[in-house]
Amino acid sequence: MVELLQLPFMQRALIAGLVLGVLLAYLGIFVTLRKMAFFSDGVAHAALAGAAIGLLTRFSPLVSALIFSMLLACLIYWLEKKSSLSSDAIIGILFTSGMALGIVLISLRKGYQPELIGYLFGNILAIRRQDLALIVVLAILIMAFIISHKRKLTLLALDREMAYMAGINPDLYQLLLYVMLACALVLGIRVLGVILVSAILIIPVSTARLFSRSFKALTLWTAVIAESVMIGGLLLSYYLNLPSGAVIVLTGTTVFSLAFLAQAKRRHLGQKKRD
Amino acid sequence: MPPILEVRDLTVRFAGGTALERVSFTIEKEEIIAVIGPNGSGKTTLLKAILGLVPFQGEIRVFAKPIRQVLAQVGYVPQRFAFDSTFPLTVEEFISLTCRSPEKLPVGGVLDEVGMDEFKGKLIGELSGGQLQRVLLAHALLHRPRILFLDEATSGIDIEGLSDFYSTIQRLNREHGVTIMMVSHEISMVYKFTDRIICLNRDLISHGETRTALTKEVLKKLYGDSADLKNHNHG
Repeated sequence: MVELLQLPFMQRALIAGLVLGVLLAYLGIFVTLRKMAFFSDGVAHAALAGAAIGLLTRFSPLVSALIFSMLLACLIYWLEKKSSLSSDAIIGILFTSGMALGIVLISLRKGYQPELIGYLFGNILAIRRQDLALIVVLAILIMAFIISHKRKLTLLALDREMAYMAGINPDLYQLLLYVMLACALVLGIRVLGVILVSAILIIPVSTARLFSRSFKALTLWTAVIAESVMIGGLLLSYYLNLPSGAVIVLTGTTVFSLAFLAQAKRRHLGQKKRD
Repeated sequence: MPPILEVRDLTVRFAGGTALERVSFTIEKEEIIAVIGPNGSGKTTLLKAILGLVPFQGEIRVFAKPIRQVLAQVGYVPQRFAFDSTFPLTVEEFISLTCRSPEKLPVGGVLDEVGMDEFKGKLIGELSGGQLQRVLLAHALLHRPRILFLDEATSGIDIEGLSDFYSTIQRLNREHGVTIMMVSHEISMVYKFTDRIICLNRDLISHGETRTALTKEVLKKLYGDSADLKNHNHG
């Protein structure tokens, strides 16, 4: 274990896992409360086009995916405001189009395309030093913003009118949430890939909701579960020699299932006691 | 002294038609004002227009200013609070969410004011309809509003709790000088507890002191032949 932690690629993977785990899981609280899971999934999938543009132009795929997905988040926000289409329809169109564009662009490169698999399913063990620096800096900036505006974002997620009455500009904060979420999702793609990244948004908070009795407890437990799942899944994937993104997600699913069963049993016992 | 609320030629149109047509009235004193009218008469739309939540034509001034400039002095209890009831948020945490900190009252104080102090550790998703309305009222009171808007705030409250709720509203007005404008269907409570009424049916049917303006003729005009001052109730 000590030897494993001395490997530079594993050190980078652990730092990225810890930073992204807490960031994505914390954002997941607002995503589940505001029912934005489809938005998250859509932006993550469409970000493949951004990464493909980076690969084709020999620019950083991570940076181009970040720019592309943030523009996409702004476009979704604008279309939701200006068109009569439902949010689901807008996201559905952009999500599939973005992913299709990404696949076409990547296929323009000749020969085997290992990057495509990397972006689809993630590869935390292949994170480079400059990617890690970008992940850490952006994650800290986003976390700082969310923590300092936690009450405003929570109120907005709970009820838009109530947020307005509290002096919050709902449109501005909605747009900021979209852009930050898009940015965090792209950072997470390096770890879990476009297909699996939404899992770390949804699974930790959904698990914590099963037994949390306050918002404070929910926040704490969400972070603890996310970090445990990230590190546990990463180590498991290394020892089992299996894809890291998939093993992290399955570790999360196992934790959720155990918590769900424990809660069902506790409810059953409680019901029996009352009867 | 400028009027507390001035509504002039207010018209609200939605895609489906006109919700309010050239409504004008002025509130001069710190009173309890009830907005009554049948379903679809534009009561909620009136409140939302005053609060700046829906686009409108005409002019609305609260404390002689556009609403956005005086939001800190305004409280609002909505008709529905469509939150995810499985979300773990305690009453105390919910009340604390609001963001204007400098002049806000202690959370325990506002909960005590509405008789909900003992519920502060309970999850908002586990409250009854009446308890939730009281918590929403406490939330609206946290910043000592000078005017409070209530949109059918008693809809989740049982018959026994109704009188208590109206007494709380009356105390806020009499003891703290808060102007209260409430949409209500409980005509007997309106008659007993409010000072002034605004009767709407897309346009203004009548407006004045409750005891003189709430006549059988006005009720008949609003609700038809079934209207009765003594026992008219929404439910």
